Amino acid sequence: MRRLLIPAFLATLISCSGRQENVEVQFDLQFDGQPINCDTETAPVRLTDLRFYVHNLRFVTTDQQEIPLNLVADGLWQNDRVALIDFENGEGACLNGSGVTNRIARGSYSGGPISGLAFDIGVPAEFNHADPLRAAPPLAYTEMHWHWASGYKFMRAGIETDNDSFFLHLGSSRCEGTIGDIQGCVSANRPQVRLTGFDPNVNTVVLDLDELVGAVNLHDGVRSECMSGPANNECREPFVVLGIDFDSGNMVGPASVFRVGKRE
Amino acid sequence: MKRVLVAVTATAAIVLLAVFLLSSSGQEYRWNIPEDIPSPLVPADNPMSDVKVELGRWLFYDVRLSVNGTMSCSNCHFQRIAFTDARARALGATGESHPRGSMSLVNTAYNARLTWANHLLDRLEVQALTPMFGENPVEMGMAGREAEIVELLRTDSRYREYFPEVFSMDEDPFSVLNTVRAIASFVRSIVSFDSPYDRFLQGDRAALTESEIRGMTLFFSEQTECFHCHGGFNFTDSSTHANALIESVGFHNNGLYNIGEHGGYPEGNTGLHDLTGKPRDMGRFKAPTLRNIAMTAPYMHDGSIATLDGVLEHYMQGGRIIDEGPHAGDGSRNPYKSVFVREFELTKSEREDLLAFLRALTDRTVLTDPVYSNPFSDPGLP
Repeated sequence: MRRLLIPAFLATLISCSGRQENVEVQFDLQFDGQPINCDTETAPVRLTDLRFYVHNLRFVTTDQQEIPLNLVADGLWQNDRVALIDFENGEGACLNGSGVTNRIARGSYSGGPISGLAFDIGVPAEFNHADPLRAAPPLAYTEMHWHWASGYKFMRAGIETDNDSFFLHLGSSRCEGTIGDIQGCVSANRPQVRLTGFDPNVNTVVLDLDELVGAVNLHDGVRSECMSGPANNECREPFVVLGIDFDSGNMVGPASVFRVGKRE
Repeated sequence: MKRVLVAVTATAAIVLLAVFLLSSSGQEYRWNIPEDIPSPLVPADNPMSDVKVELGRWLFYDVRLSVNGTMSCSNCHFQRIAFTDARARALGATGESHPRGSMSLVNTAYNARLTWANHLLDRLEVQALTPMFGENPVEMGMAGREAEIVELLRTDSRYREYFPEVFSMDEDPFSVLNTVRAIASFVRSIVSFDSPYDRFLQGDRAALTESEIRGMTLFFSEQTECFHCHGGFNFTDSSTHANALIESVGFHNNGLYNIGEHGGYPEGNTGLHDLTGKPRDMGRFKAPTLRNIAMTAPYMHDGSIATLDGVLEHYMQGGRIIDEGPHAGDGSRNPYKSVFVREFELTKSEREDLLAFLRALTDRTVLTDPVYSNPFSDPGLP
């Protein structure tokens, strides 16, 4: 008992003194358990794009407390609230991309043993609905902008086969107000991710592309798109694996496209 | 005493500084509008100036702002046809077709909302981002290429001089933000109040013919109901201006479709409903200004009516009947149709009068004024 108490006591002491431990959360992209990127030619599908924002990152401690992972602004991939994860490198099947990638969200937390990770996909409302003309990185990239609809594309993902393709632009919809002064959106469309058995030193966050592909019709030879609009029925199935109820816009469960992986 | 002196000196310094700032920011911009027309609203962070409008004009006509150097803003907005493009649906730089037609840019400074069917868009600065960076469809195709734009601004000899002059308060004036600010200022400067109708209003009773005057009476009558949606000095109910206490925002279902007799519009082009998902928003589009309307065929958001006379026909029937095909349905019975769109009769001569009045809204000045023309093809310009 005492052996357990001492580390707990120390952890409390450390957190009370405000000391923060640096931490990195790594994201991986896999298809059927194998890494996939823009250049991969061996998978049944080709990746044409994958970028998404994450925010509200929290670690779950072994005693089921949530403690925040405070992002550190780097002027490029993240500010102190939101980070852009970017698997697209402008090569292979990824046309017109940015040429650079980012798989890491960096920050700090108050320390202690970690047993899980939770985060949300997308851009928090205060940024999403702010004036896009004044956006700074990681919100200044025009390919992630969605000026006419609400704010930002929370996730852009693309896959293709030889004779079919699918593209996803996830973002808030059914909004009221005006751009730069949005009052709210019926469909927030910010998927919630909750992973147990996650240790940032040992594990990675894996996006299972096959989960997303399974939710998409890639067999009829007709290019399909989910642009998150309320009448866009092609969003229905992909939204299921993102944990969003298409009709109500409510988050109904954790996004099943994400799971825990292992650092190499 | 000393303290008073300090205060007076400080006040004087502040006043001097204010005067300096005002004078260095140039003269107040003069709108090219009649005295009885209110000034447009201008965003506080993007005041008008002559030099900014001039810069915006170069950018508006610059094909280097498109992914393959083939199109500028002007490729969908030709001055001589009131800044439209004569297409049913706009065409992007890479050949993608837009679901809707290019809207006229005349008097957009007065628009409370800017595009066919978006209740969220009220600033030209934000709107300019969509043709430049939009991907669905691709218009100018510059998504992800903002660094290329900034590079152009920094290296082009003209822009290298203009940007620091126009945005003199900015530490780094070369930005996408300042690019859309300048383009928005040029577009705001495109105003049209010099049609025969305007001259008639200003007291020139000979400016309109008898037929046009009869047409005007019909236009503003409860018989045709035209003015309910196309009312006010800009002939649209989605208008605002500097003296307006409340902006007016209007979107209307005019009975163009009624697919399956349930009120449906063609998929992907359902008006405000595309964004809100609300059944009541099905087929609701903005009533565009009717100024220069004779120049902007084909008509409606999807260019599905070829002539102005066809538009009259549509409204006289209280909606459009499509007999067969995927869009079949009796638009006049669309359950979401505006109450102001209902059947009416006109004699042949009344119909000609109404058309004559609509043609009298054409303003030759705005269609030909060199201040709005392509500066790249006019060697006489700075």
